[in-house]
Amino acid sequence: MEIAFQYIDTILVFAVFALSLNLLQGYAGQVSVAQAAFGAIGGYALALLFLDAGVGPAWGLAIGTIAAGFAGFLVGLPALRLTTEWLILLTLAVQTIVVTLVQTDHALGGSFGLQNVAGLRIFGLPLDEPSQMFPLFLVLAAIVYLTCYRLGESPYGRVLRAIRDDATACRSLGKRVYAYKLTVFSLTAAMAGLAGAMLVIETSIASPTLFSFDQSAVIVAMVVIGGAGNLNGSLVGVAVLTLLAPLFDRLLPFNEQAAFVLRLVAYGAVLVAVLLVRPQGLYPDAITRRLERALRRGGPALEVGAEAALEPAIPSVEIVRQPSRDVPRDVVVSAEGLCKKFGGIVAADDLSFRLFRGHVSALVGPNGAGKTTVFNLLTGAIKPDAGRVVLRGEDVTNATPDQIARSGMARSFQSVRIFPRLSTLENVMLAIPGQPGEHLVPLFLQWRGTSAAERAAREIARNWLHFVGMGAHEDAPAGALAFGEQKLVALARVLATDAEVLLLDEPASGVDRRWVDAMLEVIASLRDAGRTICIVEHNLHVVERLADHTYFMELGKITAEGDFNTLTADRRLVEAYFGVV
Amino acid sequence: MLENFLQVSLNGLINGSTYALLGVAFGLIIGVTGRFHVAFAVTYTLAAFVAAWLTMYLGAPFWAAVVAGALVAALTGSAIERFVYWPILLRTGANGLLMVFVASLGVSIVGRNLIALTTLQNSATVVNGFSNVGLNLGPVTLSSLNLATATVDWLLIVSLSQLLARTSLGRIIRAVRANHEMALCVGIDPGAVTFIVFAIGSFMGGAAGVFQAALTSATPDMGITPFFYALVVAFVAGLSSPPLVVAAVGIALGLVESWTTLVLPTTWTALVVFGILFIYVALRPLRRGLASA
Repeated sequence: MEIAFQYIDTILVFAVFALSLNLLQGYAGQVSVAQAAFGAIGGYALALLFLDAGVGPAWGLAIGTIAAGFAGFLVGLPALRLTTEWLILLTLAVQTIVVTLVQTDHALGGSFGLQNVAGLRIFGLPLDEPSQMFPLFLVLAAIVYLTCYRLGESPYGRVLRAIRDDATACRSLGKRVYAYKLTVFSLTAAMAGLAGAMLVIETSIASPTLFSFDQSAVIVAMVVIGGAGNLNGSLVGVAVLTLLAPLFDRLLPFNEQAAFVLRLVAYGAVLVAVLLVRPQGLYPDAITRRLERALRRGGPALEVGAEAALEPAIPSVEIVRQPSRDVPRDVVVSAEGLCKKFGGIVAADDLSFRLFRGHVSALVGPNGAGKTTVFNLLTGAIKPDAGRVVLRGEDVTNATPDQIARSGMARSFQSVRIFPRLSTLENVMLAIPGQPGEHLVPLFLQWRGTSAAERAAREIARNWLHFVGMGAHEDAPAGALAFGEQKLVALARVLATDAEVLLLDEPASGVDRRWVDAMLEVIASLRDAGRTICIVEHNLHVVERLADHTYFMELGKITAEGDFNTLTADRRLVEAYFGVV
Repeated sequence: MLENFLQVSLNGLINGSTYALLGVAFGLIIGVTGRFHVAFAVTYTLAAFVAAWLTMYLGAPFWAAVVAGALVAALTGSAIERFVYWPILLRTGANGLLMVFVASLGVSIVGRNLIALTTLQNSATVVNGFSNVGLNLGPVTLSSLNLATATVDWLLIVSLSQLLARTSLGRIIRAVRANHEMALCVGIDPGAVTFIVFAIGSFMGGAAGVFQAALTSATPDMGITPFFYALVVAFVAGLSSPPLVVAAVGIALGLVESWTTLVLPTTWTALVVFGILFIYVALRPLRRGLASA
């Protein structure tokens, strides 16, 4: 009986490890091969406190968790600005440094570790036998599961998954991407610390081998085998790998040493086999399953019965063209003398222009004129070498993209940058500002307020989806939509930011004609509602129909501005745009 | 004191030559193919064991065992690419880097423990057949095996450098390293290039493994530490740097590591090496500007 509890305890300990890594990797898209190292911090803390100061496991668990979380915070500070391969490298370095440290420090027992962490009691109850540990471990694992679930399956988790899919797009919607990454990295390091402390209780020893690089690799294997992004998948992964142990130790006819080695061979073989046959894991999350099904069918994942909505439902707004717009208007955005060089290429050369409230301004010009660079400069994606950007009287030249988005200037991208593994509705919900559920304190302390806000956000997002004619596809994974549909969803997303200034990068390119008309109506109605809009567009019919004011760009300079028809009457500009006519 | 310093520096140069070879080999693989090839440690170890078996059981001459071990490593490396990484990348696309890394972890676990199975019965696995003698060079000494190791290290590094710089195969490899898609467009088959690169890199790593086993003995986890050194050298040097630059970083690492033993206990050297890596990587965003955050 005790032996069964022993395996169950091991499953619970590694469940905590795997859940922590899954939240980090499957949700937030960040990699760590240092989970065992963070476990070492928790485990050694518990062992040291007990052996040197007689502090019991309740405090040991708590302090170990906090210490590991703090270590995670320190490691995360530099690490989370890195791309995947560098993050792997850095966490590998952390893993090695921690293990080497505990191995070389005599106070920590060197290679043998801290032995005989035995006779522990928690709340007066002994923790000597696996069956006595089981209730404690079950409670701790349940707390970690529920915490991960709350973090992952909530507005907070929606932001994490958006960061995983496309951090740049997420930042353009006003999210503090780095702060989210750092928070989740620290939290998951803390959970790994808890798991490490549990492991020390289970084995009554804290040793370097217990927290080696191999253990980190096994934890990664559990998450990948189970299916990243699905907490239950990780439980499957943990169960599969942990239960290989009794299979090799008891059921198959090997001696002890060979059984141990063969078990490791099996770990690796299962991992490689899963990656080859089912790279998404044994039990992936629901949206990944839907996305896969849709992509296997080779077409957009339209829900059954949604075909009727293929014709865009044009929103019922009156489009009033107001030709006489020369009355002085509010300047909402002004760019003053912006310069930007990339090496020898001048992308912006002393650019100055203004965007007015209730106006559609258009940036046109040949390829390479620097139109998208202008958007990047306005939204803080790149910093100008000289000049400044003023948004409603406030200098935002050195603000970050997310600050600028929160101050009311939002952009869309030429390449859409939809979040493929979020549903269409979630894509739009993410953009809605001021959601309490995106912050930890309300998320855990104000459940009712959070869910009310979530329902409200859902309604607002639905309205925007209907507004762009995509209401029928709200549950579809955005990655399964056709390009033109994604463009509309991206438009709904930028609208949902409620930003006063909208910068739309080629909203009509690659979009079916029917959808272009729908989109034009939407933009015109926004203009009439008093928004400030700037479009970059190659389709001159779109510009002709929408633009109140047109800037003509060549080689990083604005060379002409004015009414669209005046510009197109200028033979030189037409030549610059189309080549020789 | 001075003699001690010279001796320590010479040791640093010799170890550094091996780090240089490892860094060049691993850097070639990750730089050209983008695969985070942890199983580099396995091919390294396998080469050592194959060479040891050949000398122990068949009485093969030392140099034949070196070549055979490295060739087996080359074959194994290419096979891992062909039968594991390549099919996984075909299916995973954007997430590929991480998936290949994880698969590589899996291959390492399998490989290392399969090798461990062969060592359960017998005692030491050693590469025989090199008559090692001490050489006195004025104030410092080194063994003939050290000399042979360093010579082979540099022979391989310089050969690769020449291959990349002067041959058409080298030009093709550099083209794929610079731009995968563009190489495809001008008619290069990146799959074939990847395959060759794995063979070359694993061969070089395998040679280093055999010499390590000749110096001490072959153990199943002998590849882990050299793999970490290879990582440090390759990444610090830069993944698209020419071999001689990477080699210079390897030498520098060997010297720094040796010199640390003058002031710190030897157990701390790993800390110093990874401390350098950590600081180097951690400061990367500052050097790059914060735009990529």
